[in-house]
Formats: sequence, C-alpha cells, structure tokens
Amino acid sequence: MSVYQVNKLLYMTDNDPAFRKRMKEEPEAALSDFRLTAEERDALTTGSVGKLYQMGVHTFLLNHLSRYELFGVNRDNYLDKIREGMDYDPRFEEGKMPMQYFIKQEQ
Amino acid sequence: MAKLVLVAGVPHPPRLVYEMAQSPGKMKGEGLMKQVREQVEKAAPDVIFEVDSDHFVNFFYNLLPSFCIGMAEEAQGPQETWCPMPRYVIKGHVPMAKALFQYGVHDKFDLSAAHELRPDHSLMVPLHFLNPGMELPVIPIYTNGFASPLPLATRCFSLGRMLRRFIDAWDGDERVAIIASGCFAMDVGGPLRGWTDNQWVDTISKQLVKGQYQSLARHATEDRINHAGNNSGELLNWITVTGAVGKTKPLFLENDEGSGYAVWKFE
Repeated sequence: MSVYQVNKLLYMTDNDPAFRKRMKEEPEAALSDFRLTAEERDALTTGSVGKLYQMGVHTFLLNHLSRYELFGVNRDNYLDKIREGMDYDPRFEEGKMPMQYFIKQEQ
Repeated sequence: MAKLVLVAGVPHPPRLVYEMAQSPGKMKGEGLMKQVREQVEKAAPDVIFEVDSDHFVNFFYNLLPSFCIGMAEEAQGPQETWCPMPRYVIKGHVPMAKALFQYGVHDKFDLSAAHELRPDHSLMVPLHFLNPGMELPVIPIYTNGFASPLPLATRCFSLGRMLRRFIDAWDGDERVAIIASGCFAMDVGGPLRGWTDNQWVDTISKQLVKGQYQSLARHATEDRINHAGNNSGELLNWITVTGAVGKTKPLFLENDEGSGYAVWKFE
C-alpha cells in the first residue's frame, strides 16, 4: 500500500498553489507524479471518498477533495461519500454542528 | 524569575472570526472569547506559550514530531488560503524557546525544534483574539494531536509540568501566559462530521472544574479520543497546559459546540 502517496498529493493540493492549479486543470497528469496503485488511482479519479477512507487516508487530507472540489467531490456530497461502505451508525443522525466556511477562490 | 500569570484554553474555529465580522453579537463563542481576552488583558503577560496541534500545514507524514518547540524569529499565518480570517506576522521569543528546548531535553523530553514555521488556523485563531496586533511574542509548542500514534495524554501532562518548572526557573522577569488551542470533541472531515460527543465533553469539563487533571489524563486514551471524532486529539493541548497549572482550579470554564473556554489565574 502506498497510501502515503495519496496523503502526500492531498497535502500538496492544500499547501502548494502550483500543484493545486495542476490538480484542478490536469488532474490525471498531476496524479502521474505519484506512485499510486491502480486501486488508489481509481478511487481518486472516481471521487470514491469512502474507499480512500477505508484505505487509511487521513480524514483531514481527504477533506481537501471537497474543499477544492476535485474529482466530483464537494461540500454537499462529501459526507455521504465518506460513509459509503460503512455500517450504519446512529451518530450519523445526531449531527448538529454547523459546517465550516471555506473561501473557494484563490487569494 | 519569570512568573506564570495566566493559563487559558480556547478552540480555534475559523468560522468564529468570519461570523463575528459578518454579524457581530450572534455567536456564544464570541462572548466567551471576549471573556478570556479580558482576563488576558488583566494578566498583562509579556510572552505567550501556545500549545497547539498542526493540521498538516507545518508538518506532514514526511516528518512529524510528537512534540516540537517553535523557534522562528517570526512567522506568517494562517497559511491556508481557504481560511476566512486576516493574515498576520507573529514574532517569536528565540532565547526563551531555545532555553526551553535545552531544559526539556535535559529533563528527558526528546523534543524537536523548528526554526521555520508555517502557522495554520489552529495557531492563529486564538492569537487573533487574545494577542491583538500580534504585539506579544509567541512560542508555539506543537503536540501531535492527529497522526496516530498520538503521544500519551499522561506524557502531555508531564510535558506541561516540565514547562512550568522551566518558567519558574527562567532567569528573566517575563510575565508568562500559556494558551491551549483546541476543542474537546469534534469531527471535521470525518464520517461523524457534525456529531458532538457530549458525554465526553461533560467528563472533561467536570474533571477540569474539579482540578482532577491527572485523572483526566489517564482517561484520555487514544481510543477514547478517536471515539469522540477525528478532531478530538486537540484535547492533548488542554491536558498539556493542565500539567502547568499545578493545583489551581479554573476561574471559569464554559462549553460551546464541543469545545471549552477556560482561564486559570495565578495572582
């Protein structure tokens, strides 16, 4: 497993503006910089947040997919996506905390 | 001899900064943050130690210390472009940070040190409220609150005790404040987003109010922390600062949205 590489490319998306630009404009090419398994690459390009979560990608880093709206993931569908493949948990129904605010555009 | 004059704990929600700017007077956290700020102003510290957990901005899995002392002369933050708050430059206190590093290592804490910092919102939101104009020097003390294995809470408590011994022994006349940054129980970006583990928040709050700090440290295992949501390791920062307060009980502790706002005073 090279889940480190998935964590790394998500970390770079948040912290490296040039790489973030590439992830937005040519995501497939940007991914080719990393040693990903076919499964990891597929999970990323299909926006399969649940799969990536099960693989052990850190949730703080996974959240950048919604923050930067990559591979079809956004704030509205992120929670449903990360729960895909999980057993039902009653805590899913108890959420009352408001969501965070993001500034979408680059500064 | 330096003097510890205040210990405080506050959360660091960027939305608090944003919403206070948009529509002041609406959020409970606004009043609580002001309450803490008043006490900081009264205590009139000369330097702030801020115990914080980086959110993969300053550190990443390529190099991720359990404990790290910030030694930068200055640093800019928050670094995250998505974070809806002003950008600041904070200044460090290099001689005191270096001395703490040496004191800690000689006291058998295998600390790390960072001479360059990229502060994230978790370091900057409390400073936005509690260090107006970023006038006071800040010494960040990072704990690894998020990347398993977390340092033991009992070890964090001991780290705080060491920090107190250092402050009491420091050959300077600084008035010192220590601030813990973080929530008690929260999930951000995980599958439990929005849920609050109120049972855990109550347990933490009761133990803090009663001054049962070591008991809290023993209860705060990584499993218990994880059960409360992916952001809940920030409790380690609170536990670290309770190591520095000794037997003093908090002047006040208030809860809001899975977090606490508290102040301890020492004169």
